[in-house]
Amino acid sequence: MNDSVLGSLVRRRILFILITGVITIFFFQLFRMQILEQTVYEEKSDENSIKGIIDNPPRGIFYDRNFKFLISNKPAYTVEITPSLYNRKHDEVIEKMLGEDAGYISAIFKKNEKYSEHLPRKIKRDAPFSFIAWLEENQDSLNGVLYRVELQRDYPFGINGAHIFGYTKEIDAVQLKKDKGYYESGDYIGFNGIEKTYESVLRGKKGIVYQVVDSKQKLIGPYEEGRKNILPEKGNDLVLSIDGEIQKLAEQLFVGKIGALVALDPKSGDILALVSSPNYDLSDFSSVTSTDLWNVLSQREDKPLFNRATMGFHSPGSTFKMMIALAALEKGVINENTTITCNGGYQFGNRFFKCTHIHGRVNVVKAIEKSCNSFFYPLVPKIGIENLYKYGSEFGFGHKTGIDIGEEASGILPNLAYYNRVYGKGKWTEGFFISLGIGQGELIASPLQLANYTAMIATGGTIKKPHIVKGYFNEKGEYVEIEFPEIRSSISKKNMDLVREGMYKVVNGEGTATWIRDKDIAIAGKTGTVQNPHGEDHALFIAFAPYEDPKIAIAVIIENVGFGSTHAAPIVKEIIKKYLTSNTPQDFAITEESKAADENKL
Amino acid sequence: MKINYKIQDKFDYWIFIPILILLLMGLIAIFSSTYNHPTAAGNFNRQAFWVGTSLWVMFFIFMLPARTFRLLAIPTYIFSILLLLSVLAIGKTVYGARSWLDFGFIGFQPSEFAKIGTILALAYWLTDKRCDINNYRHLFIAISIGAIPMILILLEPDLGTAIVFAVITLLMIFWSGISLFGLFIVITPPITIFASLFGTTSLLAVLIIIIIILFYFKRNLFTNATVLGVNIAAGFIFDILFKFLKPHQQNRILSFIDPSADPLGSGYNALQAKVAIGSGGFFGKGFLGGNQTQLRFIPEQWTDFIYCVIGEEFGFLGSSLVLLLFSIFLLRIMNLSSIAGNEYGNITVIGILTLFFVHFSINIGMNLGVTPVIGIPLPFLSYGGSSLLVNMILVGMILNIYRNRRHHV
Repeated sequence: MNDSVLGSLVRRRILFILITGVITIFFFQLFRMQILEQTVYEEKSDENSIKGIIDNPPRGIFYDRNFKFLISNKPAYTVEITPSLYNRKHDEVIEKMLGEDAGYISAIFKKNEKYSEHLPRKIKRDAPFSFIAWLEENQDSLNGVLYRVELQRDYPFGINGAHIFGYTKEIDAVQLKKDKGYYESGDYIGFNGIEKTYESVLRGKKGIVYQVVDSKQKLIGPYEEGRKNILPEKGNDLVLSIDGEIQKLAEQLFVGKIGALVALDPKSGDILALVSSPNYDLSDFSSVTSTDLWNVLSQREDKPLFNRATMGFHSPGSTFKMMIALAALEKGVINENTTITCNGGYQFGNRFFKCTHIHGRVNVVKAIEKSCNSFFYPLVPKIGIENLYKYGSEFGFGHKTGIDIGEEASGILPNLAYYNRVYGKGKWTEGFFISLGIGQGELIASPLQLANYTAMIATGGTIKKPHIVKGYFNEKGEYVEIEFPEIRSSISKKNMDLVREGMYKVVNGEGTATWIRDKDIAIAGKTGTVQNPHGEDHALFIAFAPYEDPKIAIAVIIENVGFGSTHAAPIVKEIIKKYLTSNTPQDFAITEESKAADENKL
Repeated sequence: MKINYKIQDKFDYWIFIPILILLLMGLIAIFSSTYNHPTAAGNFNRQAFWVGTSLWVMFFIFMLPARTFRLLAIPTYIFSILLLLSVLAIGKTVYGARSWLDFGFIGFQPSEFAKIGTILALAYWLTDKRCDINNYRHLFIAISIGAIPMILILLEPDLGTAIVFAVITLLMIFWSGISLFGLFIVITPPITIFASLFGTTSLLAVLIIIIIILFYFKRNLFTNATVLGVNIAAGFIFDILFKFLKPHQQNRILSFIDPSADPLGSGYNALQAKVAIGSGGFFGKGFLGGNQTQLRFIPEQWTDFIYCVIGEEFGFLGSSLVLLLFSIFLLRIMNLSSIAGNEYGNITVIGILTLFFVHFSINIGMNLGVTPVIGIPLPFLSYGGSSLLVNMILVGMILNIYRNRRHHV
């Protein structure tokens, strides 16, 4: 078997090739990895050990029109436990101190068991301060138990404003998918109201704190002493047109009542107060939105979550009469001298439409003053439904005002198309229009729309889009006022003045609300009653003041109480008085004090 | 006989100097990888102690009379086998393998010691006057000398070390002048086993090639049938052996066959090692400056993944230096395999060379991600007393053979 034995020289050559071959391969692999692909590996290496931790910015806060706090932030305590440092024998006492059931911590650990035990587990959000104090005291024996301070909404200023401000809540999966760029699960997001509309400016910009972690995610220390960190940018603080004092008063006046109020500055469109009652307590939503709480609120019969101020579903009643008068005057159906004789109602075909009293001879001013139905019943067929629609739209009826809290209803202002749609072509008669004359029938207007309409009359035809946020503080801390579009009416000044005179006399003549007459302030208003087939009527009152130079326009509805002047008008008077007699708001001056307070808050 | 009394003539610096530098680099890397480590911070001191001790042991071996190794071959081998048997019975289980004998004050890995015994015993048999390696019976004895410790180690189970024994046995047999057919017989079963890892198709392909080559050798039917039978058996032995492996060892093999199968398991180390070395760049991140190392992205880095400490912190320069030192060392040993005065010395040198070469290629190959993750240490650099001591004994033997190269024992 000595054929083809490998000679010693051949063996040596094979071995030499083997050794040098392997070393050459290694050398080229080293060259490829360390020279050619170095950057790729370096990136991977950095990814491994540098961990960006999101640094949440403080959410922008709300000031009122006088730069007083409406909503600020307060620290809340989040308790975390790092399993690798923690002794499980403390479970029981911690659960007890937090007011949780036995096994609470075990359950959280179990849920997170696939993560490194060096990563802290969130045990409790918004832990009670008593727990934090206890934790501080016993820190030495409670290894691995830490708390973090997070900011959450604070409502300490006696103003509820639930329907204005709205609340934030933990982002849900749907929203998260939509806004993937910014949010992560666990983030809080404006859910309704101003919080929602202005979410993108309120939230600020997240910062990143770079930490060096080891292979087990254990924190080693800051990366490059924090030089590479991205600082969070605080959200923009908003300045609301709301007057905190007026809002507070309005809320107090509505305690125990069902209804709504909208007060605004007729010239600027600034909403001074907005109440929808009953409301709910925002602070219940500031930490954890319990589903139970939400369910209770949403199922309550008086619907506290429903915004009656902007979503109102009632007819304007007699408060609509000025609209009819203006359209009639403008179309030449009547003039300032046109009179009728009110003998208790109006006969249309075989139907008699009732008036509240027998008013005798009335002109347009008197008809408004006395709220004479007989005067207004015949007008709509003469004006023409399309013309009423045209002028009504100028005053915002049937359209959303575009207010900057998301939820708003457009109400109803009918035109021909509307009747054709609802009743079918040819299946309705002009008789359907009669009750429109007194604001009943196919008309729905929210208190916001009524306030807006009042403002239009008050100013004589020029208002601005109603709004709640009037300005904000930019990144440099400078106040920036927002410009709002002007809305003009085509009604002549002369006709406006006639109607204004009527409204003045409602309070200051022999009208329906004379008993709220004030010796200092000239209030012009109009009562209204919305017929309620299910119970007591709803009381309405709209007003502006002072008569000569209107600074406030207001609309109030109180449900199920009866006649407008008795129940709604006094509230209006109080608000007006308070607003016009309190110190006139300084136009724009941030005092050093408010600025310092601002900084302290954040 | 003329004897040169110059020290260069007695003592081979081409072997000693590279090893000294490698030992030093190993110490630096161990220091770095255990720096501030909660449990392994004492490893540097222990290793430093073992470096000192093993250098003395090396000199002691170096000074022994030329005959010693041949005389001690059989006793050492028998003692090795006894140790391996006892470790299976009473050994301590570390990382899933029963491979440590615990003497209380000191742990010891018999599989390391068995390397010396096996190399010496193989050299003894392969250079015995009675042995004709191209005689099947004698060949079988030679294979058995390597296979007995290998199987015992496989039972621990320590796949990496078993592979080392297999390669040492094969290479020593190859070196002892086996015929091409003999080599074919010896080498085909491992190839068949390897092919069977990749499925039936590759196994069948290899078996067909074996049949074709058998035709070329024109042996008798009985021989052909035997060779083919052994190979078919080898094709199935893997599946049987695979069941005996620990899950983590199964995973290692599977992740070699398909690296994407288990990226977070055994693939994790391989990936992190590559990241460590690659991110080191040309100059490295500096001593104690490697984030992969210092933040311990590679577990137990001071043992099998010591090379990536050097790769990360000392870069291309440091890692190339290691390659350079190893190539000087290995090629020098290869040269010595023909200067030795006797066949026994030569074949021993080849056995030792094979051992170092296999350790070197498997370890660095796995660090560089070119071979599967098989956990065997890098000689002279990895942390570990038993392995360092045995390696230095083997170096001592080479130096001794060099010193006595003119003795024809």
